[in-house]
Amino acid sequence: MHLILSDRRIDLSTEDESTYNLIDLSELNITNCVGCFSCWVKTPGKCIIRDDAIKVYPKIAYSDKIIYVSKIKYGGYDTIMKTMLERSIPVQQAFIRLLHGETHHVQRNVALKHAVIIGYGNISDEEKNIFKQLIKRNAKNMCFESYQIIFVKENELEQTVRDVISSWEK
Amino acid sequence: MIINGSPRAPRSNSQKYAKIFQAKSPMPTEYFTITKNNHLELCKKMNDFTHVLLVFPLYADSIPVTLLNFLKTLEINSPSQKPKFCIMINCGFIEPNQNDIAVKMIQFFCQSQGYSFGSVLRIGSGEAILTTPFQKLVEWKIKKFSLAITKEKNVSLKVTMPLPKKVFVKASTKYWENYGKKNGITKEQMSIMDIEN
Repeated sequence: MHLILSDRRIDLSTEDESTYNLIDLSELNITNCVGCFSCWVKTPGKCIIRDDAIKVYPKIAYSDKIIYVSKIKYGGYDTIMKTMLERSIPVQQAFIRLLHGETHHVQRNVALKHAVIIGYGNISDEEKNIFKQLIKRNAKNMCFESYQIIFVKENELEQTVRDVISSWEK
Repeated sequence: MIINGSPRAPRSNSQKYAKIFQAKSPMPTEYFTITKNNHLELCKKMNDFTHVLLVFPLYADSIPVTLLNFLKTLEINSPSQKPKFCIMINCGFIEPNQNDIAVKMIQFFCQSQGYSFGSVLRIGSGEAILTTPFQKLVEWKIKKFSLAITKEKNVSLKVTMPLPKKVFVKASTKYWENYGKKNGITKEQMSIMDIEN
């Protein structure tokens, strides 16, 4: 599965929609993770908050190519994307393993991914630097086999996403 | 001013760390939690304090969205007298340096918004360490941290369980197994690979 996960509306109407699944998080009802650990110790693999997030995190898990589109704030994902990522904890187990000499959670059925992370907004060099370090950490916890980070202005976003989709099709 | 940025503040480890800080700190402290509706109230309160200690867990490699949203409100409602920010962050992993990105995000916030940044304490194995004999190590380090803040010394401290990583992994497996058992869930059930259905 190829997935585009965006924190704002993106018009890709001219692209071949059979090749990807587009999710606009800004249109969904997704509340904050409350840190209850139910998805680990009560209802493993399932969040007890039954809002729209439960339709999204399985798709993130099963995708092998994924584009994350997010506004950047303080060198991290802004609220909409960060809320979704926090609600994706059911894709991991409580149990911890060693990965490249570091402790990380064991993953459930999560496909290895080629990820493209498109950060947009008015981003300073320092924020870009923090964000690159964040994605390097995400790669270990979100099963990125490879990743590319692209920083763009908001008005360049749609074209950038189209370019990435085109590269998938080659 | 101690601000707990955990999404489960009333039942959080962050609260336990904050309470230890309060017990050890030579400075008078007041404890607050972030809720959906109290951002503006906390911003106003900040005028009464010289220091703000943010206490929060690592969430998905960075700061929890609860804290992110509060900082965004603070950005447009900053106090007239800007206090110095300090951080006490905890993660469940044994490596305290897994907290580094979250610390850098707060430092960036401070730098871009004109707040001075003081001391930081990074806690590793923070989910379970208070239930082990290593609790004393945390208490001692929090005391050192609080003294540094009082003396206006900017320090960067770390504490974690002094265990080989393989031993930590075994101990954490037992910890989570027992956590599941209390809910009537076996280790096998917790280990299922299915996500939703």
